[in-house]
Amino acid sequence: MKKKILVVDDEEDIRKSVKMILEVNGYEVYTAFDGDDLLNKLSQITPDLILLDIMMPGPPIQDIIKNIQDVKIAFMSVVRISDARKRGLCSQDNIVDFFQKPFNVTDLIDRIELILADKKNLE
Amino acid sequence: MDTKKFDIKKFVLSKINRKLTLLFIIVGLIAPSMAIFYFYNISVSSFSESISTNQALLLRTIAITIIILIALNTGIVGFFISRSISRPIKDLYYATKEVEKGNYNVKLDIKTCDEIEELAHAFNKTTASQARLLEERKEIDSAKTEFLSITSHELRSPMTPMKAQLQMLMEGYFGKLTKKQKDSLDIVIRNADRLDRIIVDFLDISRIEAARLKFNFQETDIVELVKSMSKFMDAYAKEKNITLVLNVDKLPITEVDPDRLSQVLRNLINNAIKFSPENGNIEISATLDRDYIRFSVRDHGCGLTPENQIRIFEPFYQVENANRRKHGGTGLGLAICRGIIESQNGKIWVESKPEKGCQFNFTIPTKPVKQIKPIKILFSDKGMIERKIKEEFSTILGPLGEVEFNELKSKNSLGRDDLVEYIDYLTELYIIPKNRGNDFKNSIDKILGYDKDEINEKEFMPCEYSEGEVVKRN
Repeated sequence: MKKKILVVDDEEDIRKSVKMILEVNGYEVYTAFDGDDLLNKLSQITPDLILLDIMMPGPPIQDIIKNIQDVKIAFMSVVRISDARKRGLCSQDNIVDFFQKPFNVTDLIDRIELILADKKNLE
Repeated sequence: MDTKKFDIKKFVLSKINRKLTLLFIIVGLIAPSMAIFYFYNISVSSFSESISTNQALLLRTIAITIIILIALNTGIVGFFISRSISRPIKDLYYATKEVEKGNYNVKLDIKTCDEIEELAHAFNKTTASQARLLEERKEIDSAKTEFLSITSHELRSPMTPMKAQLQMLMEGYFGKLTKKQKDSLDIVIRNADRLDRIIVDFLDISRIEAARLKFNFQETDIVELVKSMSKFMDAYAKEKNITLVLNVDKLPITEVDPDRLSQVLRNLINNAIKFSPENGNIEISATLDRDYIRFSVRDHGCGLTPENQIRIFEPFYQVENANRRKHGGTGLGLAICRGIIESQNGKIWVESKPEKGCQFNFTIPTKPVKQIKPIKILFSDKGMIERKIKEEFSTILGPLGEVEFNELKSKNSLGRDDLVEYIDYLTELYIIPKNRGNDFKNSIDKILGYDKDEINEKEFMPCEYSEGEVVKRN
């Protein structure tokens, strides 16, 4: 069975690109454009991983991820991981990785594979 | 400034009054003394036969006493009048001194109802407008930094889908590519990467300039850090068959920001690899030097001319030579290194001789600076300050001054402490007289702004880190 990945980003081109990459590599991909849409999608499907942009308009990302405890989350952001840590974003247990934008396609695929094979990447 | 209305009529009248009073006092005081003097002369000559010598003596004594008393009075009155005139001038003098130091918040309150009050008003207006200009300059400066930060973030976000798509194309996600297509794509990818690096560098610069570059100080084993960095760079060095030679002392565990330190080291080693000939050596060392740890990266490449040694830390300055294009880079690496090092009170400089390779050195304090200083990288006023220091050197040492100045500058030793140490050394050896040495120190303090008072210290207060670092997209 194909693994499900939910890509959340407010930029359409990023959603599209990530979707293309993941689909070629054999994942089932869903997309959401903001936090509310994400929660909405979660009520319909249970993905194996959420790829989440931490800078989106709307409610703060901390509040959104508080409601998601049982799905693995990997962040995507243009800011560095140290900045995200400073904002207290990486404290939750189900946050498994951090992709610095712009990401390397091969690296993205490799790491997602590792994550879904149940290895935690984020130190 | 215009809070107090100026009464012209009163002003003119009082001005005339003042002068008339002075005239009356002088005439009033001199006239009686003259009169008494004449009276004495006349009385002595007309009563010469009838008055006895005793009486003449008495008369003379009285006359002289009166004259002395009057003179005394004139002196006292004159003293008070002159003081009433000189005091506002003194106030003005001190206020001007304050302004010279850069304190534009002085305000004169002189109420003499004459030209001096008028002058004080003009003075107040001028300083107020100066203060406004200074304020505006600071605003423009922070607007520049803000602009840089926002644009860099905004420029960076389109890079993500762009690079992703390019990579997918390149890796054959959408079908096999012909050789020509691949070559074309290669060029696009290479330049996209380059653009991205420039944007990242600009982001760093905007952070350094706003003192927003975050230092995450933590106890670090410097030896381990240098070792792992050299191991990491070894992969790049191998491409040119370059050996990285480590020469690291036993160093105490120090509180530094390991990421930033690595960034600087990586940059310097990367440069050294770029400019080294194949099969060469690069020596990396770290030693403890009193309160500082001194790092150095030495290559045996083409070296730098004195002119280039000075300018190498300027943004976008690249040494002109034939294979410059080959080296790539954004031209901002060393400028960022300088920013990172200087904002935590370290120093960075280069020692080199053309064709003999060069050695980049930098120091970081063993006690971390908790208050990060903003460092101007783009459009810095460093040039102007250096010109002024150079002038001081020429005044004190004549033609030799320029040589000495360049020598110090190439060592990046134009800080206040370095200059004071330098001039103390000269005075100890009696090369220059002590008082001239002190003059020099005073001028240096003035140029570098050390004699500024508290108000100006605010200029150097680091900006508070805010959520603004993360630019929100709407």
